Amino acid sequence: MERLSAGVASRPVAAARAAFGRRAAAELLYAVASLPLAVLGFGYAAATLVLGLGLAVTAAGIPLLAVGLLGARWFGGLYRRLAGRLLGERVRPPAPHRPGSGFYGRVQAVLGDAAGRRAMAYLLLRLPLALLHLYVVLFTWGWGVVALTYPLQRAFGLNDVTTRDERGVLRHGFVIGGLHLDTWPRALLVSVAGAALLFLAPRAVHAVVLLDRMLIRRLLGGSSAAERIRTLEETRARAVDDAAATLRRIERDLHDGAQARLVALTMQLTLLRETAPEGPVRDLAATAQATAREAVAELRELVRGIHPPVLDSGLDPALASLTARAGLPVELRADIPVRPTAAIESIAYFCAAELLTNVIKHSGAARAEIEVVQREDRLRLRVRDDGSGGAVVGAGSGLPGLAERIRPVDGLLEVDSPAGGPTVITVDLPSHA
Amino acid sequence: MRIVIADDAVILREGLAQLLAVRGHEVVAGVGDAAALREAVAAHRPDVAVIDVRMPPTHTDEGLRAAIDLRRDHPGVGILLFSQYVETRFAADLLAGSSAGVGYLLKERVADLDDFVDALRRVAAGGTALDPEVVTELLGSRRQGVDALTPREREVLALMAEGRANAAIAKTLVVSDRAVEKHIANIFTKLGLAPSGDGHRRVLAVLRYLRS
Repeated sequence: MERLSAGVASRPVAAARAAFGRRAAAELLYAVASLPLAVLGFGYAAATLVLGLGLAVTAAGIPLLAVGLLGARWFGGLYRRLAGRLLGERVRPPAPHRPGSGFYGRVQAVLGDAAGRRAMAYLLLRLPLALLHLYVVLFTWGWGVVALTYPLQRAFGLNDVTTRDERGVLRHGFVIGGLHLDTWPRALLVSVAGAALLFLAPRAVHAVVLLDRMLIRRLLGGSSAAERIRTLEETRARAVDDAAATLRRIERDLHDGAQARLVALTMQLTLLRETAPEGPVRDLAATAQATAREAVAELRELVRGIHPPVLDSGLDPALASLTARAGLPVELRADIPVRPTAAIESIAYFCAAELLTNVIKHSGAARAEIEVVQREDRLRLRVRDDGSGGAVVGAGSGLPGLAERIRPVDGLLEVDSPAGGPTVITVDLPSHA
Repeated sequence: MRIVIADDAVILREGLAQLLAVRGHEVVAGVGDAAALREAVAAHRPDVAVIDVRMPPTHTDEGLRAAIDLRRDHPGVGILLFSQYVETRFAADLLAGSSAGVGYLLKERVADLDDFVDALRRVAAGGTALDPEVVTELLGSRRQGVDALTPREREVLALMAEGRANAAIAKTLVVSDRAVEKHIANIFTKLGLAPSGDGHRRVLAVLRYLRS
C-alpha cells in the first residue's frame, strides 16, 4: 500500500523534473545560445554560395564553392559539438573528407562530398529555425514570467500601462482583446494564464529543439546507408591495393636482401671450393653449397607464390611464364590494352595459376587455352581445357578458394563444365579494385 | 675473357668478379644500372657482358631491355642475362631475332664454376647458354613433338637447347660422340627439322623449333 502511494506520488514529480529539470534548462540554453552561431553560419553559407555561384562563370567560382563546402563541414562540427554538449545529442560525425590529388582532383573531391553539401543545407535552414526557437522562447518563457508576476507588478506599480477605454475613462493595466485587466481578480487570472504558459514553455522549447535534433541527425550525422556502402567499397579497394603493394614490397625486400645474400653465399662457397686444397674443407664447402642452393630454390618458389616478379612487367608476360611452366601445352591469348591495377593483375594471375593446376590435376586434358581480355572497366579471364569436365565449385577443386580470392573485388566466377568436357571457366574482374 | 658486370647488388658484383679472377678472367668494369652498363660496354668493348635483369630505377626488366639494345648496338659483345628468376617470356624476348651470342642463366649456376665459365665462353664465341629451367619450360610447352622422342633423345635435346656442344653432351651423358650424333639425327627427323650443318646452327634450329 505504501509502495503504491509512493509510486503514485513519484509520477508527477518525475514529470515535473522532466519538464523543469536539467533537460529543460539545457534546451532553453541551447535554443538561445545557438542563435549567434545560426546567424554567423547562415551569413557564411549565403556569402559563399552567392559569391561561388556568381563567379561560377570565372575560374574562381567553383574552387570558392569548394572552399565554402569545406567550411560548412567545419561549421557542422561546431553545431554537432554544441548539440552534444548541451543536448547530449550524440551524432556520429561523417567520415573524414578524403582530399583528391592535384588541384582539380581536390576541388572535385570536395564538390562530390555529400557531407559537405548536407552541412551547407543545415547552415541555411538553421537561421529560420533559430528565429523560430527565439520566438517560442520569448512567447512562452518571456510572456509566462511577465503574466505570472502581473499582480506583483500591479502592486509595485511596475509595467503600468495607461489606456483610455471606449467610454473615455483612463484605465491602468494590460488590455487583451478589449478586456482591461485592471482589477485584482482579473490580475490573478493573468497570473494563472502565466503559470499555464510557463508550464507549457519547456514542452514548446522541447518540441522546436526536437525539430533541430532531427535536422542535425539528417544533415550533420554520419552517412546514409548508400554513402556508407560507398565508403566501405573505397576502403575495401584500398585494403586490396595495400595488400598487393605489401606483397610486392616483401618480394623486393627478399630479392634484394635474403635471396641476394644466399646467392652471394653460394658464390663465396664456390670460391672456397676453388681455392681450398682437396680434402674435408672442400667437401664441406660443396655440401654447404648444395644446402645454400636448395635454400635459394625454395625461396624462389615461395616468392613465386607471394608475388611473381615478372608480374611487375605485366599480366601478359607473367601468364606467358606461367603457361610455360605448366607442363602441358597451353595456348595463351592476351589482349590487355590498358593495364589493370597491380592488385587485379595479381588476382587474375593467381586465378589463372589455380585454374591451370586444376586442369593438370583433375581434367586429364591434353591441352588448355587461356584468354585474357581487358575491355573498358572489366578484365575477363577464360580458361578452357579439353579434359573430362564435371568441375564443380567444391570437392577439393580449388574453385571455392578462387571464389574467395575474387570476392573482395566483386569478381564473378562462371563454371561451364558438362560431364565429358570441355570445361570453360570464366573469371570476370573489374579493372580496378 | 674481358667481362663487364652489371648488377645493382655490390656483394654479387664483387663475388662474381672474384670468382672469374680465380679462372684468370678480367672484369673490366662493374656497374649498377643500365645507363652505366651502356657506357661501360661502349668504352671497354668486352667479350661478354653479364647483366642482372632487375636494376634501378624500376627494378623490373631494365637489364633485359639494356641487353636487347646492346645486341643491336654491339653485335660482337656476348650478352649473358643473369637473374634470380628465369622467365620464359624474357628468354623469348632475348632470343628474338638471332640467338647468337646470348645466354640466360640463374645466378646460382655459378655454384658450378666450370659449367658457368663454359657458358660464358660459348656466349662470347657467339653460341648460346640457356638455363636448364628455361629449357624445361620450353620442352614442356611443346609436348606433342617432344613426346615422340625417347628419354635419351629428350636429354640430348635439352642439353642442345642449353647451347652445349656435342662433345659436352657426350661427356655429360657419358656416351660417345658418335652416339650423340646419331641421337641428334633422330631428333631432327622426329621433329621434322631440316638437317643443318655445324653444331651451333643445329642449336639454333632446335631453339627455333621450341619457340615456335
